[in-house]
Amino acid sequence: MRVLIVEDEMLLAMELESEVEMAGHEVTGLAMSSSQALEQIANEKPDFAFVDIHLMDGPTGIDVGRKLAEADVPYVFVSGNIKKIPEDFAGALGAIEKPYTMNGMKNALAYVSAVVMGDKDGLPPASLVLATEAAAEPGFA
Amino acid sequence: MQEQDRNRTDARDAGDRLVAGHVREDPFAAAFKATRMPMIVTDPKQQDNPIIFCNEAFRRLTGYSDDEVVGRNCRLLQGPKTDPATIAAIRSAINAGQDIAVDILNYRKDGSIFWNAVFISPVRDDAGSIIYFFASQLDFTNVKSREADLAAARHEAEAEVAKHTANLRAALDARSLLVHEVDHRVKNNLLTMASIVKLQARVTRDEGRKQTLMAVLNRIEALSTVQRKLFTLDDVSKFDMSDFTRELVTDLVSATGRDDIRLSLDLAPLLVPAVKATPLSLIVNELVGDAVRRGLNDGGGDIHVVVRRLNGDFLIRIEDISEPVEQDSESAELGSMLLKALAQQLGAKIEKKLEGRKTVVDVVLLVGEEQENSH
Repeated sequence: MRVLIVEDEMLLAMELESEVEMAGHEVTGLAMSSSQALEQIANEKPDFAFVDIHLMDGPTGIDVGRKLAEADVPYVFVSGNIKKIPEDFAGALGAIEKPYTMNGMKNALAYVSAVVMGDKDGLPPASLVLATEAAAEPGFA
Repeated sequence: MQEQDRNRTDARDAGDRLVAGHVREDPFAAAFKATRMPMIVTDPKQQDNPIIFCNEAFRRLTGYSDDEVVGRNCRLLQGPKTDPATIAAIRSAINAGQDIAVDILNYRKDGSIFWNAVFISPVRDDAGSIIYFFASQLDFTNVKSREADLAAARHEAEAEVAKHTANLRAALDARSLLVHEVDHRVKNNLLTMASIVKLQARVTRDEGRKQTLMAVLNRIEALSTVQRKLFTLDDVSKFDMSDFTRELVTDLVSATGRDDIRLSLDLAPLLVPAVKATPLSLIVNELVGDAVRRGLNDGGGDIHVVVRRLNGDFLIRIEDISEPVEQDSESAELGSMLLKALAQQLGAKIEKKLEGRKTVVDVVLLVGEEQENSH
C-alpha cells in the first residue's frame, strides 16, 4: 500500500519510512506540519497514513486526521500521549503509543495493511490501541 | 416657624401632664429620670409623633438638651448612613402599633455616629388605644466595632487563604506541566536513540556488528516499553508487571513471523513499585529473549510465561521446550552480566532448571508488605 507519514521529528520519520519500505510498502511522502500534510493528501491520496499529533505547527495532527477521515483514508495516530486523542478518535483506526518498539511497529503495520486490504479478521497486536477498544474503556477521554 | 413653636409647647405640656399624672414621689417616674438607660416617650396623638419626654441618660447619649429634643420626631437621630430599610421597619411597626427591637445607626448632635439598639413599644390606655410610644436606647458601638474588626480580620484571613490557594494551584499546574513535558521528552529521546541505533545497523555491512547493534536496540526498546507503561495506572507509584510482560512477549513472538513458536500465557495482575519496574522488566526481557532465540531453531518451540504471586512473593516463570542452542559467547556474557546485576539490585532470586529440552527459569522477588509499599 501507499503510505503517508506525518511526523515532525525527521529521524523518527526516516526510520518509520525504512520500516514501511522493508515491509514491502511504498511511502508517498513525509510531512512535518499540517499544511504539508494537507497539501500531500490533496496531491496524491495515500492508501494509509501514520499521523503524529504534535506537529511543527502545534497539536494539529488531529485536524490532519479528520481531513484523512473525510477523504476516506484509513490512518492511525502515533503519539506519546494517546490520552490527548478525542473520544471519537477523529476517525482513526487506532493509535500506536510512542516510544514504540521495532517489533511493535512491525506487528501494527502488518495488522493495518491486512485491514486496508480488506482482511478484518486478524487479531490486533498489543502495540496498537484500537479506537473501538479505547471507546469501550471507561474513563478514556 | 410659629407652628413649630406651638407644637413644641404642646409637646412640653403633654410631657408635663405625663409627669404631673404621677405624684412627686412616684418611684416609677424617679426611676425613669435617673436610670442610666436612655429613654424617651413620644405622643402619637400629636402631629408627627413628637418626643414629649426624654431622660438625662438620653441627653448624655445624644448631646441634645431637653429643649432641642422635645417636640421633635425621633428622626432627628438619623443621618445619611442610617439604613433606610431599618427606618422603614420602625415606621411600619409604629403604624401597626407593635413592639420593635432593631439596631440602627444614629447621629449625635455633634454629628458623630453610634450604633443604637433601640426598643420601641406602644403604651395603651385602659380602652386599649395607644397613648404613648416608649423607646429605650442602648449604645453598642463598641460591640459593633469589635464585630466589624472580627469580620475584617476574617475577610483578611480568607483573602490570604485564597491567595495562597491560588499560588499553590498555579505551582501544581506548573509542576504537572513540567512532569508531562519531561515524560514526553524521555519518550521522544528513547525513540530517537532507538532510531539512531537502527540507522547505524541499517548502514552496517558486517553481520556481527549488526547483531551487536540489534542487541543494544533490544535493551533500549525494553526501556521504552517500561517508560510507556509507567504512570498509566491510577496509582502512579505502581507498575503492572503482567501488562508489560504480555506486550513484550506477544510483540516479540509475533514479530518473528513464525507460527511454530507457540506461546501460552498465565498472567495475573502483579503491581510492583514503579522503582522496581526497570530492573525487573530488563530481567524479563533477557529471559524471554533467550527463550525465543531457542525457539527460533528449525524445530520452533513452546513458550509458557507465568506472572503471579507465590505465597505473597512475586513469581515470574519463563518456560520453553525447544532444542537448546549454543549462544554466541559475547551475547551470552552480556546477558548473564545483566541478569546478575539486576537480580542483585532487586534482591531477586533467579533459578534456572534444565530438563532435557525443557528450560524453566524462575524469578522470585521476595516482598514484605513494607517493601511492596515503599517507593
